[in-house]
Amino acid sequence: MKKIFILLILTGSFYSGCLAQVYFTKNGRVSFFSSTPLEDIKADNNQAISILNTSSGELQFSLLNNAFHFKKALMEEHFNADYIESAKYPKSTFKGTIANISSVNLNTDGVYKVIVSGNLDIHGVTKAISVPGTITVRSGSISANSVFKVKVKDYNISIPAAVRNNIADDIEITISCNYEKK
Amino acid sequence: MKKNAKKIILIIIIAVIAVVTVMGYLMWNKPHKNVKDTAGVKITAAELYNSFITDSAKARALYTGKVVEVSGEIIKMALNQQQQQIIFLKTAAEGAYINCTMEEKAEGHKIGDILMIKGICSGYMSGDADMGLPGDVIIVRGYHAD
Repeated sequence: MKKIFILLILTGSFYSGCLAQVYFTKNGRVSFFSSTPLEDIKADNNQAISILNTSSGELQFSLLNNAFHFKKALMEEHFNADYIESAKYPKSTFKGTIANISSVNLNTDGVYKVIVSGNLDIHGVTKAISVPGTITVRSGSISANSVFKVKVKDYNISIPAAVRNNIADDIEITISCNYEKK
Repeated sequence: MKKNAKKIILIIIIAVIAVVTVMGYLMWNKPHKNVKDTAGVKITAAELYNSFITDSAKARALYTGKVVEVSGEIIKMALNQQQQQIIFLKTAAEGAYINCTMEEKAEGHKIGDILMIKGICSGYMSGDADMGLPGDVIIVRGYHAD
């Protein structure tokens, strides 16, 4: 009886410990930037959902493509209708793992360099990626940042010949999330 | 006579080029949809969320990309990383909200107030059932519509 009681306490502690390690945001920022000699194009999405499990290192993102906001309305229209095809592919997602999550000490303030590997799904195409990033711990708050590039052609996004010189082959993606504890 | 015909053709060509240039310029610089002055579909936060959960295809057709006027109780307020105000309206599902990014800050409101927000509905962003995190319905370019 005593053994069962101890086991229950240990199981309960382990379970609550696991729960305490999940962080999330529903308003993560994902931006992209394309730069060519002809023009710079930038768009922001501030409604990305991201979940970070600091025990296992699992990290995921998902966002609605049509929530990207451009400076110019025409760019936004073309992005949704012709390039990313938001009606057909409404979401972009990432599911992966922080390989060196054990190097992040949640009890000590600091900026920790991490490597995130996983599958990025854009425009119905899933590609394995591995990108650098940082986890910042400050007074118990956790934030994550990453800047990396993706190739437009890798995601089967066709750019009309008329504007091919206006859009870079490599698009810079910037991720910035402030997490709260689940 | 030939000289006149040439002149007319030249004038027509110049006029066509001018019209195309002006149209191209206007298209390139056309403003975003005027959300503030557009009449939206009136709906409660609970109804909007429920419509995406029960029949997402129908809800997408009815609301995605459209201006909606959503009324509901403020359950949470925050600022995003661009310092835009985010207002979360309560739905019938716990932890699931109408997640409104405001174009114009709604001043003088507090948690518990009933508010109507006009904005563009981007659709339903699913959460993660395994992690116990429900999704939200996303509203962007929001304005206080009362």
